[in-house]
Amino acid sequence: MLAASGATADMEVDMANTDKKNSAKPSQYKIKHPSYLGVYLTFARNSLVRDMMFRTNFILEAISSLAWSFMNIGFYWIIFEHASSIGQQTGWGKYEFFVFMGTTWIINSIVQAFFMPNSEEFSELIRTGGLDFAMLKPIDTQFLISFRKVSWSSLSNLVLGFMLLGISLSQLMQRPENPWQFEISMLVLYPLYIFCGVSILYSLMICLAATSVWLGRNQTLYDFWFYITNFSRYPMEIYARGWGFPLWLIFTFVIPVLVVVNVPARLLAQPLTPRASWEWPLAGFTLLAAAVSILVSRWVFNTALGAYRSASS
Amino acid sequence: MTIIEISELSKSYRVYQKQEGLRAAIQGLWKREYRNVDAVKSIDLKVEQGEFVAFLGPNGAGKTTTLKLLSGVIYPTSGNATVMGHVPWERNNDYRRRFALVMGQKNQLWWDLPAQESFRLHQQIYQIEKNEFERSLDELSDLLSVRGLLGRPVRELSLGERMKMELIAALLHSPEVLFLDEPTIGLDVIAQHNIQQFLKYYQAERKITILLTSHYMKDIAALCKRVVVITDGQIQFDGSLDDIIESFSGQRILRLQLAEGQSADGLERFAAVESIELPRVTLRCPRADATKSLGEILQHYQVDDISVEDPPLEEVIAKLYTAPPEKAE
Repeated sequence: MLAASGATADMEVDMANTDKKNSAKPSQYKIKHPSYLGVYLTFARNSLVRDMMFRTNFILEAISSLAWSFMNIGFYWIIFEHASSIGQQTGWGKYEFFVFMGTTWIINSIVQAFFMPNSEEFSELIRTGGLDFAMLKPIDTQFLISFRKVSWSSLSNLVLGFMLLGISLSQLMQRPENPWQFEISMLVLYPLYIFCGVSILYSLMICLAATSVWLGRNQTLYDFWFYITNFSRYPMEIYARGWGFPLWLIFTFVIPVLVVVNVPARLLAQPLTPRASWEWPLAGFTLLAAAVSILVSRWVFNTALGAYRSASS
Repeated sequence: MTIIEISELSKSYRVYQKQEGLRAAIQGLWKREYRNVDAVKSIDLKVEQGEFVAFLGPNGAGKTTTLKLLSGVIYPTSGNATVMGHVPWERNNDYRRRFALVMGQKNQLWWDLPAQESFRLHQQIYQIEKNEFERSLDELSDLLSVRGLLGRPVRELSLGERMKMELIAALLHSPEVLFLDEPTIGLDVIAQHNIQQFLKYYQAERKITILLTSHYMKDIAALCKRVVVITDGQIQFDGSLDDIIESFSGQRILRLQLAEGQSADGLERFAAVESIELPRVTLRCPRADATKSLGEILQHYQVDDISVEDPPLEEVIAKLYTAPPEKAE
């Protein structure tokens, strides 16, 4: 508080001086860095205000995504009436898979709440030339574009995801072999790998949206999202046979969507010991993939800005 | 002190040459012809601190492209420019904190929210002190008389009110350089006038540097001492409005009010007749002949009232866009 008022006083003095001189640079006060947190909170707040304005729409959105999730779980419930696990000896029984599904919902709802509306809008801003305004602001443009809007209604699935997780884990506590046990490391590792997964998906989306700069229009975002998340939605063991292997390679190492849900879900659903020898390198790789994805997205984003030609007004 | 310095600035776009017809459209899927469009061709310009400069030119002349280059939104093909010592397309935050761009055809305010909320966002982005922010907002909303509208969703505002809000959003951080791209487009006369008055006052008060593009001569006549005419990506003319009339129009308009009963017959002997609506007659003659013609007319006719005018600005400008300047006598 003291610091703030001090700064104001400095500024006033500065302004008074320059008024007299009428200098070309009336604002020579210290370079002020934008408060990214402050800007983000304002974005989140404004989004909430807007969502509340269209209350019925908000409720319908929340209900429809919840309904979709319930239908999903019902569908898999039926499947597990016919089979006790996915494949043999894979460790993905009914409740293990529901842990996996809860994780999918958590990650998807985070992406859909925080990044999906922004990526979509980014594509639109490129087409209409509205990106101009974002580029004028004294703040990182990728930040501004990526975090503008929050679709609060999409968070309904986050709650549902955690509920499913809770129920499934409590069921797994009664697992005959290796009953599920809480480990303190899970509290750190699970959120960490959720974060990695979200980062990878975010990077993919923003890269895809950025291609609008070259393509003029790119409306495949939703489609692409659907295809990609389809691959990430199942345990990677299903790719272990036949021609699944090249798919596994591509979606692990080229477009690393397979690790998005698999790594955090496996962490919770499977007993910590014993672990297959390839799992630790995979966990390490996921960290690397997340970091590289973010860097690539930054590169693509900046390259896109360089090629941006703005729509004429 | 020079604020904006542009030298040999060029921007060309590669555009896809669309062909007519379905067949050509399908062929366009794999075989595309492109052509280069030179939007801005080697422009040189200097603007001093505190100037209010108008960019004038037909659609597609390169005015907006120039403003976008100066805002750092697009990269030039070649050439240099600095604004307040910064190269705009480097887009560093120091520069971006010190200027603003307002575009009459695009809006940056959140459509569904009251303008107030967008302003608060700007406060955060530009890190405007709370007191400073409130003072500026009060001042600007009073000047533009929109104080009562701050809490209303932007989509419910009229075009003129929205434009005023856009101006406030652009000025909250007290920019030293302001780029205005057709700020009064589509507005009614009153709103246009309000915005002109505001800009005039604000510019005089703050001594900021403003570059304005507009199609409305009234904007330009009311606001700018200096006019830069751009056609086809090049600067055709750079000077004052009066100079434009001087160098681009060698003609005068004579308006006569004839006395009662006076016929207009034979006036064409002295000057070209534009219109006759007795008792008013409008004539046109070369500027050098104006005095002589008037003298002769007064000898032969009974005239109640006379005025000698420059041709309307619109006409001069239209000529300027299409033809090389007439030599001033």
